[in-house]
Amino acid sequence: MLSKILETLYTKVFINIIIGYTKSIVYTEVVSKGVVVSSDTKEFKTGTLNNEMHEHLKSCISQSPYHYITILDKSVNQGALPTCRDVKNYIDISTLHTVCVDNDWTFYTSQESIKDLKYEYQSVGVDLIFSPFPILVTFFKDKIDTSLSIFALVEEKNISLCVFNNGKLLYAEYLHIKNMKSDDNLMMDTILEDDEDEIALDLDDIDLDDIDADDDITSLEDFGDIEDLSNDLDIEEFSEAQEIVNKEDEKEVSAEDFNDDYNKFLMIQDSIHNFYQDEKYDSEFVEHIYIADSIGVSLDLKKYLEEEMFLTVVVRKIELGEKLSTMAKVEIL
Amino acid sequence: MRYSYIKPRRKTALSKDMQLLFTFFSVTLFMLFLTYGFLVFRDYRFDQNHAEILQEEKNLRVGIEDMKVKIAMIENQNILSERVFTKNSVLKDSIHNLFDLVPSRITLSQAKIMENGLILYGVTPNKDIYNFMLQAPLRSIFHRTYSSFYPLDNGWFRFVSTNYIDEEANDEY
Repeated sequence: MLSKILETLYTKVFINIIIGYTKSIVYTEVVSKGVVVSSDTKEFKTGTLNNEMHEHLKSCISQSPYHYITILDKSVNQGALPTCRDVKNYIDISTLHTVCVDNDWTFYTSQESIKDLKYEYQSVGVDLIFSPFPILVTFFKDKIDTSLSIFALVEEKNISLCVFNNGKLLYAEYLHIKNMKSDDNLMMDTILEDDEDEIALDLDDIDLDDIDADDDITSLEDFGDIEDLSNDLDIEEFSEAQEIVNKEDEKEVSAEDFNDDYNKFLMIQDSIHNFYQDEKYDSEFVEHIYIADSIGVSLDLKKYLEEEMFLTVVVRKIELGEKLSTMAKVEIL
Repeated sequence: MRYSYIKPRRKTALSKDMQLLFTFFSVTLFMLFLTYGFLVFRDYRFDQNHAEILQEEKNLRVGIEDMKVKIAMIENQNILSERVFTKNSVLKDSIHNLFDLVPSRITLSQAKIMENGLILYGVTPNKDIYNFMLQAPLRSIFHRTYSSFYPLDNGWFRFVSTNYIDEEANDEY
């Protein structure tokens, strides 16, 4: 009774942690009588709990004794199944923690990962651990109940993918994008090979007769006057060379993004392929994909999905911190 | 619907130190109230005992008054008894003296002792013996003495001696 009275007097602080591989986000919401008083997002360039993040969490905790720390599960061994009763037919649940939703489908994670999370955050404590699947389901609630589509929550290095047919889960998989350096190179090689082929094809199309050899000679002659150039011009040329180097860096970055998106596309493709092939799942042909985008996916991924898999792609931006906080509030308030 | 893998920890606004402090104050307050309650109860019992004692005192005072009355009465009775005893002793002495007073030749047949007088009935061989041996001492005792003689067949006389002591004379003494 006394604790209930005290609880109404204090504000509640919801601290939501989204752990990434290169950065982690801490989204904090201060709630008073069900109304959000203030919110704050802080980004840390770490994938684990470091001192800076620990200090920030401590300062958030100190705001109110009624604080709730929520973490989004990043366990590789997590997923969802289209049943509650026959889970054993799909996986060995002896080491898993399962949660049944509406007596219709189940999401799970390994008990070990929950223990690990609790152990890592024991200095500040953990109150709620959410799977990305219920987040995805609540985010696309309007679409899930009325269509046969693929739904994917895209994070930095993870994709939570599921297929729903009018509210009925058909298939789900948690995809982890590995650091595929060799594969990336391989993929890049193949792309380059493709490009070379295209170049070769282009070369075939070139009519050698159309080339004006005199133009090339004059340009070479211009190049021959290089000794007459002043020092100023040398400097200008040097600066141009620098720009070229910078452009090359940008190209590398975009190449990484390109690799990531292509990897994501491949993994989605593999997963859907598995859904169609595996007899355990009631596979149906899917034409739509709804992407909950938490990192800002490039248009390339959308293009791949549209062109390679002939899917209608809808990308919807999701703020994972706010979504986590909403779910935590539903559980607590 | 619960979506979290784990349940949130139980939250409390009171830290461990505060809990200890509250426990300490609670115990202290409990003990204070207990002591207060005990004192209130003792006060109530004291008042009750005080009232009982006052009532008892009142009853005892009434008893003492009764006893005083009884003592006074007993003392009066004692005085009365002593007086009666004294009177009886005096009477006894008087009777004894009276019988000592009567000579052996005179025979008394009846004696009436009154508060202020003495009436003697008897037989005397002759009037002289009576006059000298009985009337003379009677006269010394009583203020007024009256004698009457009635002759008997054998020559003796029956006499009636009436003797009075005057009250006024008595009061003087």
